[in-house]
Amino acid sequence: MTAPLVLPAPAHRTRQAAGRTRTQVLLYAFVCLAVFVIPLLIDSDFLLNKIARYIVLGMLAMSLALSWGYAGILNLGQAMSFGLGSYAMAMALKLKTVPVHTGPEGLPDFMVWNNVPSLPWFWEPFHSLGFAIAAGIIVPVCAAAALGWFMFRGRVTGVYVAIITLAAMVVVNLVIIDQQRFTGGFNGITDLAQLKLFDITFDAYGRSTYYLVACCLTASLFLALAVTKTKAGLIIQAIRDHENRVRYFGYDVAAYKIFAFSLSAAIAGLAGMLYTVVMEFASPTFLGVPLSLSVVVWCAVGGRQSLVGAFLGAVLVAGMQGALSESKTFLETWTLVMGGLFVIVVLFLPKGLAGIAELLSVRIARLRQRRNATVAEPKPTEVGP
Amino acid sequence: MDDALQQFITGLSIASILLLVALGLSIIYGAMGIINLAHGEFVMLGAYAAWALQTQLQIGLFASLIPIFLLVALFGWLIEHFVLRFLYARPLDTILATWGIGVMLQQAVRLLAGGELRYVQMPVDLSHSIDIAGVPVSVYRLFLFAAALALFALTWFLMNRTTFGVKLRAVIQDRSISSAFGINPGQVYGITFAYGAGLAGLAGALVSPLKSVSPEMGTGYVVDAFMVVVLGGVQSLVGTVASAFVLGELSGVIAFLQNDTIAKALVFLAIIVLIRFRPEGLFTARVRA
Repeated sequence: MTAPLVLPAPAHRTRQAAGRTRTQVLLYAFVCLAVFVIPLLIDSDFLLNKIARYIVLGMLAMSLALSWGYAGILNLGQAMSFGLGSYAMAMALKLKTVPVHTGPEGLPDFMVWNNVPSLPWFWEPFHSLGFAIAAGIIVPVCAAAALGWFMFRGRVTGVYVAIITLAAMVVVNLVIIDQQRFTGGFNGITDLAQLKLFDITFDAYGRSTYYLVACCLTASLFLALAVTKTKAGLIIQAIRDHENRVRYFGYDVAAYKIFAFSLSAAIAGLAGMLYTVVMEFASPTFLGVPLSLSVVVWCAVGGRQSLVGAFLGAVLVAGMQGALSESKTFLETWTLVMGGLFVIVVLFLPKGLAGIAELLSVRIARLRQRRNATVAEPKPTEVGP
Repeated sequence: MDDALQQFITGLSIASILLLVALGLSIIYGAMGIINLAHGEFVMLGAYAAWALQTQLQIGLFASLIPIFLLVALFGWLIEHFVLRFLYARPLDTILATWGIGVMLQQAVRLLAGGELRYVQMPVDLSHSIDIAGVPVSVYRLFLFAAALALFALTWFLMNRTTFGVKLRAVIQDRSISSAFGINPGQVYGITFAYGAGLAGLAGALVSPLKSVSPEMGTGYVVDAFMVVVLGGVQSLVGTVASAFVLGELSGVIAFLQNDTIAKALVFLAIIVLIRFRPEGLFTARVRA
């Protein structure tokens, strides 16, 4: 097979693209900087914990934007990777809990209640925190790669992808609920120890946890941005726009899709682990249908084709919901308003809030161009008598 | 032997409820290609309407069926007219829009009727049970089975033996050519969606005496109904009946052998595998490109 012919892009085009990338990097850096500055302005540990929670959810939405907005894979089961990561972390932290919450030989309390005689084999390796952190990323990636291989090799597209991913997540969710002896069932895994890494203790209500979350956000945001700028990233976007055309060029479409799908799962898994640290428990609702659909909503509101847009959309919507949940009537009306807002966004703003920003920046650029043109043109007349 | 028969009848009862809910979805999704995530909320609206008519106006379940159908159909028509009409070119976005509508409907009902569970009285004439070959069977469940078949027959007749059905099938095949022949596709779609929504409302009213009525009751139905439609094959009404039967019996049997949760998980797993290898559904003979 010969390599596909690539024509060099016209010089002004590449210059434009480079300019766009620079603006993008600046914007992303600004957002991350803002995330790091927040704790300096906030005194309340409780509030800081809440914000850390929204940031983690924002990471989850960002991971979906990577697969939905860039690769065109609408994954309605994005919370599956999130939940798997969250459980991996919870299992490790559970095994480190104080004796009150464990039975003889460090058996977790819910296993004692369920008459489990000894620690099951798949719990054993979670005594090692390193293993748990690796598992929190590798397990979701393997699950996504297997599911992706299963779907994309069979050229399943569009709506069917949405249905399969949703169904797969429901299956995992049901199994976790059903296997109460090993997973804690409906209650999930609670009463966890605090994460201890490199002699730093990450208290959920402390600054250390917040900065951990912020660092992970920055790393994954820039990693995802970098991937979209590589050749593979461009091919992934081409597949989103016209799958068959890319296939005729000789690219292995399924491989690229599996790659995007798995990378997105890795980030979601990382977010899941952080969520356990921030929330101090893991629950089957972390991989439930309501959360998974909410992620899609955040992504759509923020802008599915913008990583940072999806992140901000999640922080905005989830944060607003959290702020209003103090009062019951507010929350109830808010849910009603959110449903309506969402319908309006879908109808009129398919690119979400990021679409508005893009539109504005294009307008401003055009205005500036026009002003430059008007400034440049009258010059010859000025030289007159 | 009795156990097997009992199992079979339980499965049949699950199947008839599945068919009732899936019939409307089969038309909306199969014919119009809209992923209607608000379908469960239409079912919920029907159940609440039955409850409201019974407790507020003392109207029995039978007398309220037709008003409920019309009411929910009107809802459906409004939603099609003001939202979905603009999304036919973006089928994936219908998932998002209808989800938003579902959230709104759920919340509106919660605000109006309260979040607590409600109960609808079973019609007195049907509240006893009879013996079939030594197995006691609730008459109301038999009635549901008959109602599901009757509604299926009605829908089949509407789609295949009336002018409206011909128009609808023409619009599905080629929207622009059918409009060149003087069919108004917007109107046809509006009525179709309204009919599908009305059927969902009826389903909700009919199952309400068996289940408790709550604002969240719809979410479970919509997933199951989708599985029925996907398994049966898009655009195939007969397939929908067959797959409702298969899924109902399957969940009945597995639930008997294992438990409800595992039954559900296995059915979902089977459907994932099925979509991968036969996306056109089990019971469709041919698919038009």
